[in-house]
Amino acid sequence: MNSIIEYFQTIDVQFVESTAKLLLLGALVTLKITLVAVSCGVLIGLFVGIAELSNYKLLRFPAKIYVDIIRGTPLLVQIFIIYFALPSILGTRIEPYIAAVVACSINSGAYVAEIFRAGIQSIDKGQFEAGRSLGLTWSQTMSKIVIPQAFRRTIPQLGNEFIAMLKDSSLVSVIGFEELTRKGQLIIAATYRSFEIWTAVAIIYLIMTLTISQFVAYLEKKYNSDTRRK
Amino acid sequence: MIVIKDLHKNYGSNQILRGIDLRVKKSEVVVVIGPSGSGKSTLLRCVNYLEVPSSGTITINGETITRSTNINKIRAEVGMVFQHFNLFPHMTVLDNITVAPISVRKKSREEAEKKAMELLVRVGLGDKAKAYPSQLSGGQQQRVAIARALAMEPQVMLFDEPTSALDPEMVNEVLDVMKDLAQSGMTMMCVTHEMGFAKQVADRVLFVDQGKILEDTNPEELFSNPKHERTKEFLAKIL
Repeated sequence: MNSIIEYFQTIDVQFVESTAKLLLLGALVTLKITLVAVSCGVLIGLFVGIAELSNYKLLRFPAKIYVDIIRGTPLLVQIFIIYFALPSILGTRIEPYIAAVVACSINSGAYVAEIFRAGIQSIDKGQFEAGRSLGLTWSQTMSKIVIPQAFRRTIPQLGNEFIAMLKDSSLVSVIGFEELTRKGQLIIAATYRSFEIWTAVAIIYLIMTLTISQFVAYLEKKYNSDTRRK
Repeated sequence: MIVIKDLHKNYGSNQILRGIDLRVKKSEVVVVIGPSGSGKSTLLRCVNYLEVPSSGTITINGETITRSTNINKIRAEVGMVFQHFNLFPHMTVLDNITVAPISVRKKSREEAEKKAMELLVRVGLGDKAKAYPSQLSGGQQQRVAIARALAMEPQVMLFDEPTSALDPEMVNEVLDVMKDLAQSGMTMMCVTHEMGFAKQVADRVLFVDQGKILEDTNPEELFSNPKHERTKEFLAKIL
């Protein structure tokens, strides 16, 4: 007990202030990379998800392979491949930021594709038929009728994907990209205050994930209040 | 208006339609009856190519549908009303009706909304423009679905069991709209179990069984003097 008290007595205000600043900067970077990765992921996922449902093998097959490979391998390995393996055969260096964003986007794309595929499949076939029977083209029916409904229905899963990516983005710390986790490591390397820093890092992640899940719950409620089916 | 020649439709080895020949003239109201699984819905769905025929030809307004036909253009001329309404739940009633005229007919929003309001008044739902489908009763939803199809100013209307999913007290409000439509000279093909509607409105009644048209005659004749044994059995069961 005494040792714990002694330990906390060594904390000084200035240290807390400067560390907090650094960690919050890291948190901002984490949020940014997550936002960029999931946005790209949604774009990739939309096309891949639709491709997975296509009647054309030439579209369906590559989409399926992409999803299987990405979901079947660890994100950490994917980051290594993009940051270390690719440059070694291309002969150019890739910036950690670029590698991190690309790896996370490609990873997110595969998960979002599955979310969209399931979402689109969950829409009653009659919706598609009604659109087509009115003379809307395939793409008009998808973009105006099916995807808006699928999108609303997949908000909870997309929210989960965002939260998962926010946490998984900590993996890009291994290539030296300075997001929240990496910032924590760096501060500890200089100060040896492992306990405070990791606790603080965990709390910052927790605040972000809880806030986001609240926001997603709000969106879900907002969109589903006027779109109950039939 | 509609000419169907030797239409076949198979699902694998399962033959749904086995040689349908049919001509529907302009302003004619044709009611299709028959036991479930007889292929009557499939026949209707083939007319606007929601089901692709296995063989045979369909000609609408002089244009025979082939692989190279712009099917969207044909569908724009053929309105369809579904058993389960299939309104778009994420859109208001007004948007449900205007989405196709704006996207397909390239009408301005004002023009499309003006027409939509006229149609809503016509089906007795002038006050529901801003409502969402989930806020309407089944009968109201089906009337919106009819208005949605009419908004494209189609030459033909197809009705696929439009009252089968409705509570009994709502059947008449939908049938009244359909009767009104028939009297206005719309060419109509209706799959229905409403024999009263068939007697009152139809110019011809088709009895379909096992993928073939067994009878094709006026309603008085069909209901009072059916020729086929199968028709007699069917009518005895439902009347």
